[in-house]
Amino acid sequence: VKKHSQHMKLFKNKGKDETSLRRQRMEVSIELRKAKKDEQILKRRNISIHVKEENPSLGQERAYEIIQPSLEEIVEAVNGEDTELQLLATQATRRLLSRHKDPPINQIIELGIIPRMVEFLGRADNAALQFEAAWALTNIASGTSVHTRAVVEGGAIPAFVSLLSSPHMHISEQSVWALGNIAGDGPLYRDALIAYDVIPPLLALVSPGTPVGFLRNITWTLSNLCRNKNPCPPLDAVKTILPVLIFLLQHKDKEVISDSCWAVSYLTDSSNDRIQIVVDTGILPRLVELMDSPDVNVVTPALRAVGNVVTGTDEQTQEAIDAGVLTVLPRLLRHTKPVIQKEAAWILSNIAAGPYQQIQQIITCGLLPPLVELLSKGDFKAQKEAVWVVANFMTGGTVDQVIELVRAGILKPLLNLLLAKDSKTILTILETISKLFLAAEKLGETEKLCLLVEELDGLEKIEGLQNHENDMVYRAALDIIEKYFSGEENTDLEPQTGQDGLYDFSVEKQDFDF
Amino acid sequence: MELSDANLQTLTEYLKKTLDPDPAIRRPVYSLTAEKFLESVEGSQNYPLLLLTLLEKSQENVIKVCASVTFKNYIKRNWRIVEDEPNKICESDRIAIKANIVPLMLSSPEQIQKQLSDAISIIGREDFPQKWPDLLTEMVNRFQSGDFHVINGVLRTAHSLFKRYRHEFKSNELWTEIKLVLDAFALPLTNLFKATIELCSTHANDASALKVLFSSLILIAKLFYSLNFQDLPEFFEDNMETWMTNFHSLLTLDNKLLQTDDEEEAGLLELLKSQICDNAALYAQKYDEEFQPYLPRFVTAIWNLLVTTGQEVKYDLLVSNAIQFLASVCERPHYKHLFEDQNTLTSICEKVVVPNMEFRAADEEAFEDNSEEYIRRDLEGSDIDTRRRAACDLVRGLCKFFEGPVTGIFSGYVNSMLQEYAKNPSVNWKHKDAAIYLVTSLASKAQTQKHGITQANELVNLTEFFVNHIQPDLKSATVNEFPVLKADGIKYIMIFRNQVPKEQLLVSIPLLINHLQAESIVVHTYAAHALERLFTMRGTNNATLITAAEMAPFVEVLLTNLFKALTLPGSSENEYIMKAIMRSFSLLQESIIPYIPSVITQLTQKLLAVSKNPSKPHFNHYMFESICLSIRITCKANPEAVGSFEEALFLVFTEILQNDVQEFIPYVFQVMSLLLEMHKNEIPSSYMALFPHLLQPVLWERTGNIPPLVRLLQAYLERGASTIASAAADKIPGLLGVFQKLIASKANDHQGFYLLNSIIEHMPPESVDQYRKQIFILLFQRLQNSKTTKFIKSFLVFINLYCVRYGALALQEIFDSIQPKMFGMVLEKIIIPEIQKVSGQVEKKICAVGITKILTECPPMMDTEYTKLWIPLLQALIGLFELPEDDTIPDEEHFIDIEDTPGYQTAFSQLAFAGKKEHDPVGQMVNNPRIHLAQSLHKLSTACPGRVLSMLSTSLNAEALQYLQGYLQAASVSLL
Repeated sequence: VKKHSQHMKLFKNKGKDETSLRRQRMEVSIELRKAKKDEQILKRRNISIHVKEENPSLGQERAYEIIQPSLEEIVEAVNGEDTELQLLATQATRRLLSRHKDPPINQIIELGIIPRMVEFLGRADNAALQFEAAWALTNIASGTSVHTRAVVEGGAIPAFVSLLSSPHMHISEQSVWALGNIAGDGPLYRDALIAYDVIPPLLALVSPGTPVGFLRNITWTLSNLCRNKNPCPPLDAVKTILPVLIFLLQHKDKEVISDSCWAVSYLTDSSNDRIQIVVDTGILPRLVELMDSPDVNVVTPALRAVGNVVTGTDEQTQEAIDAGVLTVLPRLLRHTKPVIQKEAAWILSNIAAGPYQQIQQIITCGLLPPLVELLSKGDFKAQKEAVWVVANFMTGGTVDQVIELVRAGILKPLLNLLLAKDSKTILTILETISKLFLAAEKLGETEKLCLLVEELDGLEKIEGLQNHENDMVYRAALDIIEKYFSGEENTDLEPQTGQDGLYDFSVEKQDFDF
Repeated sequence: MELSDANLQTLTEYLKKTLDPDPAIRRPVYSLTAEKFLESVEGSQNYPLLLLTLLEKSQENVIKVCASVTFKNYIKRNWRIVEDEPNKICESDRIAIKANIVPLMLSSPEQIQKQLSDAISIIGREDFPQKWPDLLTEMVNRFQSGDFHVINGVLRTAHSLFKRYRHEFKSNELWTEIKLVLDAFALPLTNLFKATIELCSTHANDASALKVLFSSLILIAKLFYSLNFQDLPEFFEDNMETWMTNFHSLLTLDNKLLQTDDEEEAGLLELLKSQICDNAALYAQKYDEEFQPYLPRFVTAIWNLLVTTGQEVKYDLLVSNAIQFLASVCERPHYKHLFEDQNTLTSICEKVVVPNMEFRAADEEAFEDNSEEYIRRDLEGSDIDTRRRAACDLVRGLCKFFEGPVTGIFSGYVNSMLQEYAKNPSVNWKHKDAAIYLVTSLASKAQTQKHGITQANELVNLTEFFVNHIQPDLKSATVNEFPVLKADGIKYIMIFRNQVPKEQLLVSIPLLINHLQAESIVVHTYAAHALERLFTMRGTNNATLITAAEMAPFVEVLLTNLFKALTLPGSSENEYIMKAIMRSFSLLQESIIPYIPSVITQLTQKLLAVSKNPSKPHFNHYMFESICLSIRITCKANPEAVGSFEEALFLVFTEILQNDVQEFIPYVFQVMSLLLEMHKNEIPSSYMALFPHLLQPVLWERTGNIPPLVRLLQAYLERGASTIASAAADKIPGLLGVFQKLIASKANDHQGFYLLNSIIEHMPPESVDQYRKQIFILLFQRLQNSKTTKFIKSFLVFINLYCVRYGALALQEIFDSIQPKMFGMVLEKIIIPEIQKVSGQVEKKICAVGITKILTECPPMMDTEYTKLWIPLLQALIGLFELPEDDTIPDEEHFIDIEDTPGYQTAFSQLAFAGKKEHDPVGQMVNNPRIHLAQSLHKLSTACPGRVLSMLSTSLNAEALQYLQGYLQAASVSLL
């Protein structure tokens, strides 16, 4: 049990361990849940025919009855020298790989035709063949890591990189897509692409005149180039991409904005010096503005990006506060989507882990009422984060700030969550309550707090936790009961004052101080 | 040990002996016991395998069972490999056990299966999954066996392996394991679930088959809970439809063949449904987003279930789980609509709440035969799992959104129940009980033990109900009629005491006093408790709400009835009554004096009786408080009366001390201190006779004795220092020995200082002269070797007290006689930097006066090298006056207070009414220490004009100087 002296508290968060308070998004390597629906997609297959206008061969397709050749015929044609047959076979392959259900990626790989397809990418004389090959390879690369590897080992990276500068926009676009899939596989291929100098030609494709559809593809591929840790993307690459991302963040298209935000969120999901590079671009105000967007697909990554920034240093967090993050959080804490509530609470918990001045800004910006609301009736995921907010707040806040939080009505929902079906949450709450009692002791308000806790049905919940199966939970509960609730009502037993000298009761301290 | 027949035979013999009812054989005194023998061989290789062989193959069933229990205990003791300790089971045995135990468990009869299943989970806790990779597949493969005896064995084992997922913290390790389990287990479990349900319908007419199948379903439902606890697994999200649809239909299922006749024990059907309620509640609480589509169905099914479930005790867990589920859902804003409809609300109120609030046969039994338990549940709130409580929570939940309608609906019910009662009270009294309970749960929004209800539903007219329906019952001439209703009525007064107007409370007081005579333990206990609570209520100015004057007409009957209640069967050590006695004394004050002779006789008799075997700590505590109150109140009016108390009490006290009744000794010391302090003149000889005994080390070894004994010795010193000095001078070293013992302990050093301060303050100086130097040496040693903040604070107070008593020069001299320049060192290293830490009004004052003396009455401070400390010391003193207290404690000391003090284990309980008056040793001498400083400085400057002023103007910082000028002004003096 630590006693902080009051004036020590006024200085910065002495004795509080920043690393434990600030919580990075814990990408636990183990997930029981379904892959998150709100995450950005890593790899995509091209099953649309959005390029048909630009693709004369597709026009023909409609005219003729499509005859699907057998796999043997495909192998033979691809490996043969007849350009016409090569095209038809490649097209057939692409069609197989583009069908909605169960594309036969494995079988196609087993045909051994990937190196040949890669060769076709270089056939500048035959745009149709180049395009079909690019499409087919894109879809193979969209599969599992094994699939992507087959494409890369077929030598596709340099071929696609050079196709970025193809005079045919649809080919260049398909290459962007294929490279996005390769980059999305993980840090190894991402860095391989960067080593092949993918960035300059890719960025060259971005201009005010780039069609929106194309721009979406480019943005998505850029985001995959920023994605993944262990290691992070090379610093030079990040610095080259950032100005373009900032440009893209100003775009009108929701998808472009969304993917740019995702890209920034990946860049901020990193060490403090990487966060600093992003902060230095001055992008925070725009990100905060986007947090307030009506479109969930924009809000989610913007929230994530800013959230990562506030896992950084106090100064970086202050930049986010100055950019106005606290003014949009009330709305997000009340968002209809539980995931957004949760992420918003996560941000708040990290701001609450800061020095008391930042905690004061939380109060000033009116975050306490929505916090109380969230804690009392939010989705459980969000409630869990809200508990962290309270825990951090009570650890770093001044006595006055803690009082303010209690006045806002935090205790009732906090104590109710002692019934949560999650041991860690329960333990965090119990520890928070202990801290609150320490503060109350300083103020000589222990008894008042005891009554309040009892009145809010907290006492019986804490008593119940003395039977909890989890050792630490049960000990924490026992500790609170023993310290604050097991005494006879001594204060109640005090002789009445003022009647006569004898009945002036003595200060216990002088008599028996235990 | 070889795996030989001979060894099997030996082991069988010994196992048989462990079962022998004759302890001489089981544990013979002189030869090797059977149990010892088994322990001695359990380290041998093959021992566990021999046991497994026996439990499988022995001819005698009793040996099989015994071998299985021995095996399980063996595993429990030895399986875990503790770091730095030898591995207690050899590797080949471990491998063999893991290879054989699952099939063995599954082929064994149920009795043995349970033991082996436990053993598997103990092994699993250590080895699973890494060191037992095929366990899961081995288990899952059995699902296809179709043999439900085997399947249940697997499920039971799985349950004991997986149930820890319900309470452990999330960690990568844990989640890796769960993921592994899910991958191997979730699908087969789901298939088994579906198959079992199908089998239930094909065997719908076969009672014994159904029992086995339902046992499986219960285990499957439990496994579902464990596997879904940490987070919602992908598999279960994808298969939610299957699980929830089936759970839902199981909730609505009934089958005559599964109904049991037992009224108490829950049957399979109830257990299953109860677990399903838990599962639904888990999803509703944690995975609301995903579960939303299913929730309304469950709400409907669960309330239908409640409507159709009977009153028998066996349904209690199911019903309270089910109601708690509804209670938790109805509070959530987005499910509000499920309850909004007036018909729905009415039907929940009518069919769920009201029936579950009824007073049942089991409650009646408890009321009569197990009143202590009843009181604990009803009064102290240990009713968490009861139906009434669940129903009460549901009412509170519903009131969150629907307070008006719910209150309206219930008012109707309350009225009709009261009418039923009125028609035929002796038959229908339970209706009134339910009505009162309903009103209570409807009206109470927040509650504490200390104040009763603190927030009430404004739509309920509590006073009207009180006047019309509660008071009439209590006014009835026959106190023993309808005891349950009397208890209800008294409880109503008690919990709504802050809502009911005072005049109604005053009307109730004689009624409550009257009910102290009720035969029912619950009724007279409640009456005592209600009175006690009413007497603690505060009105304006923090005075008691009910005054002694208002109580005047009832004093005699109150005291008579309270003491009579202690003679009622079952209440001879009733803590509620004793507490009420204490509280009555405290409220009534001098009006109890006429009754004291009889009161003190009764209390003494009680004390004598309970001291034979103290068993009720609260009762005892209040009894001693009551004794203290009797003494204080009486002696305040008539100090001479102290003698008669001593006469009445000392006989019993002597007996308690002689018989060493440990629970009571700290109390006795406190009462004696109180009595001794009442004496105005010399200390009586009876006390002096006891004095040497109080210094006995054995008494001081018990931590609970220390505070009251120190207190008692302080009283001796205050009243009899000169007697001690003259008549017991040879005991002074013993007294100081106690001080030394206390000062040696970080936890008790402050008690040692209390004692030392009293010695210094009261003992004639010449009687302690020869010990003074030693005292300081002792203190300095402690300071050097293990100083703590607490010690320093006490030390500072002590040396300043010494300075006040003996003079600053004496202090300087004795310090410097111990070691040259010691005085300067203490000033510089301890007093100046630490004085800010001293806390407490009187303590600060002592220090202020002491330091003032050092500054102004100690010549060496003016004319030796100590002069350089003069300004810093003055500055520190001004800081003591003006700066906030420094309560920092170095990091390493944070735990001293808590760990080194005896805390809750202590036998010491402080009596509030034996409290000591705060003592201010400088009170007479100095009133305002700031002014005193100013005057003393003035005196000093007169003695050596110019010196003080020049020191001040050159070195004192500006802020301090400003404060000082303020003091001088206030004292109307100036410096020369």
